[in-house]
Amino acid sequence: MVQLTQHVSPTANRKEIDLDEVREIMSHFKPRDYQEAQELILSALQEINERFGWVSLEAAEIVAEHLGTTANRIYGLLTFYADFRTEPRGNHFMLLCHGMSCYVAGSSRLVQELADRYGIRDGETTADGELTVQVVNGCLGVCDRAPIVKLDDKYYGNLTVESFNEAIQRAIAAGKSGESAK
Amino acid sequence: MTVYAPLELNRLSSRAEFEALVERAKARWDALWNGDHTVVTVGVGSSSIAKGALDVLAACQQAAAGQPIIVRQVGVDGADWMEVQVQVKRPGAPTVYYGNVEPHEIPDLLAGLLQSKAVGVDGDVAYEGIPPLKEHPFFKYQHRIVLRDVGVIDPESIEDALARGAYSAYLKVLFDLTPEETIAEVTAANLRGRGGAGFPAGVKWESGRKARATPKFVVCNSHEGEPNVYKDRRIHEGDPHRILEGILIACIAVGAERGYNYIGGEYPLAIKRFRKAVQDAERLGLIGKNVLGSGKDVEFRVRTGGGAYICGEGSALMYSIMGVRGQPRTKPPRSVEEGIWKRPTVANNTETLSNIRDIINNGGAWYASIGTEKSAGTKLMTVQGKLKTMGLVEVPMGITLRTLIEEVWGGMRDGYKFKGIQTGGVSAGPLKEEHLDRPVDFDSLTDLGGMLGSGGFVVFDDTVCAVDFARYLTAFNRFESCSKCVPCSRGNPALVEILDRIRFGRGSLSDLALIERTSKHIIELSLCGLGQVAPMPLLGMMKMYPEEFRAHIVDGVCPTGTCPIGSRQTAATTAAAAD
Repeated sequence: MVQLTQHVSPTANRKEIDLDEVREIMSHFKPRDYQEAQELILSALQEINERFGWVSLEAAEIVAEHLGTTANRIYGLLTFYADFRTEPRGNHFMLLCHGMSCYVAGSSRLVQELADRYGIRDGETTADGELTVQVVNGCLGVCDRAPIVKLDDKYYGNLTVESFNEAIQRAIAAGKSGESAK
Repeated sequence: MTVYAPLELNRLSSRAEFEALVERAKARWDALWNGDHTVVTVGVGSSSIAKGALDVLAACQQAAAGQPIIVRQVGVDGADWMEVQVQVKRPGAPTVYYGNVEPHEIPDLLAGLLQSKAVGVDGDVAYEGIPPLKEHPFFKYQHRIVLRDVGVIDPESIEDALARGAYSAYLKVLFDLTPEETIAEVTAANLRGRGGAGFPAGVKWESGRKARATPKFVVCNSHEGEPNVYKDRRIHEGDPHRILEGILIACIAVGAERGYNYIGGEYPLAIKRFRKAVQDAERLGLIGKNVLGSGKDVEFRVRTGGGAYICGEGSALMYSIMGVRGQPRTKPPRSVEEGIWKRPTVANNTETLSNIRDIINNGGAWYASIGTEKSAGTKLMTVQGKLKTMGLVEVPMGITLRTLIEEVWGGMRDGYKFKGIQTGGVSAGPLKEEHLDRPVDFDSLTDLGGMLGSGGFVVFDDTVCAVDFARYLTAFNRFESCSKCVPCSRGNPALVEILDRIRFGRGSLSDLALIERTSKHIIELSLCGLGQVAPMPLLGMMKMYPEEFRAHIVDGVCPTGTCPIGSRQTAATTAAAAD
């Protein structure tokens, strides 16, 4: 039995993944042969990551078993591809676009603000477990409103450091994402 | 309303059955535009959703309840500056295009009280004082082949697509043309790869056809991980059947048993709409065994990536499809000999494959007559920066950068001064004001250190520091290096380190030579094409803005005030800022 190290900050809300739901998701993947099973690993991980915000060791083991591979290989994928997380998200999740449009419009200042004011860098969660940020190296495709972030389900564009902080504070005050109306 | 109800979709077993369905789809399309009802069309794509398009759509549906109004959604047509866009077609009048519409304005808009937000009308003549949309500079220079139906058809409706000619070329390739004839048209079109390298698609197909191992595969590269490109995403969101048709034609021409589309995982809407297109095509029997009774079989699979830029590289993409880390391998063998599962695999970019329908229907010679001699056809181009009318456009090859920037994209917004334009994403250098009269095609920018690449341009103004921008671009390559080969995975961090030294005012003139030397290592020794061009943006910035690098090093100042020279920011947080 392989033990994978889980880097979970002690103060973050530890959110367990409902493994029955993972099994349910996996039941839709019906590979006809071993090659197809391997092709499906990434898609399966994506669905789980999308649903829960991260992929736990236990979930990875279910995927590995269903598709006839090992948890080690899954972990290798989870740590290579930038979209996956191996630890839970905070209550709120932000995609901070740092594509070129956002860069030339000053997104570096927002990344800096996250470090200075919230103490987090790409992929990290604030100590109070409220906010997780993922810096998007690609492009969110909303370039005429740069710099832009997607916080939970909402986009905030043409940001200044002030309006950026305001958006974060408002989201945190409104409570957990998912509890607020979509 | 019943005129626009979905058609019944059953498995078709012959060419005649398919043609009968197309007739029904065309009748449905005509009934939509020629009835006594109003048609309200909302552009819904990932960019317009960010601006509230779903709320606008809901408001339209609410306003339409009980009225003779049909509300439909289409993909976004590229005019980002006028999103959320609503098109209104009243009986007996041309379609009017409204821009920047807010949900609460819908009742007024439908009542005709919001003509101030009308940007243009369909057709050649003005209507009630509203000029034709095609005369707007943003549209005037465009030649839309790939984007013809983007913003016109409902991307989730195969009926709409069929009415506009989807799968007409596929039908020809299945029944009328031999694979050799199909490839000959693509070769005659001089269609070059739109992903950046510009390799002729016909040649690639030919070698795929000649490869002797079986089974063979075709892969559509829809990864698009560059920090400044969103063109392929828009085709997926606006006209997925066009892409699918291109892949299926490639499969038949090459003799491949299966087609793949590898889509970046970060584009959920593109994936959703493309999957719907595949489902509908499967339901009609356009994919599967004995397609339309032609005796030809073709399978199809959609695969999604996980946000790694490197997976845009051919061999890395194939490893990613096979469920392992996307790290390139040494070549030869080329993927056309050994690709997915070690079988011959033809890989083309989404935009390349999206041109195939019209090339087959109109002939290769027609396509070759568009654009320039060596770069035929049109190119999708995207722009970023402080410009007035930003968006995705499809223009003939050979248009000048000046026309693009000053007319198509409307020039700089008030208060911003043009400084330069970064070309070729993270794989080439910037150009300056004096280079803007160069034509844009695969070959005309390279001697200046620029590149067409995948058609993404970034205009930057005089508040952007060349050293800091170079640091940003190099840091991107550092982050995205797959860590397989040493020159790239060690070299790029070294470059970032040198640049940080300069940004913090601790650089020396010998650092410039060190950058050149380190870059040479990366360029000559890296394993894959992406590594080999990683230092290009930095070298380009040094070539175009040497005075700024000197100002940092010799005078100890950052001319734009961006860099931490002389400021009190700590090293750690500032380094974090540019990551």
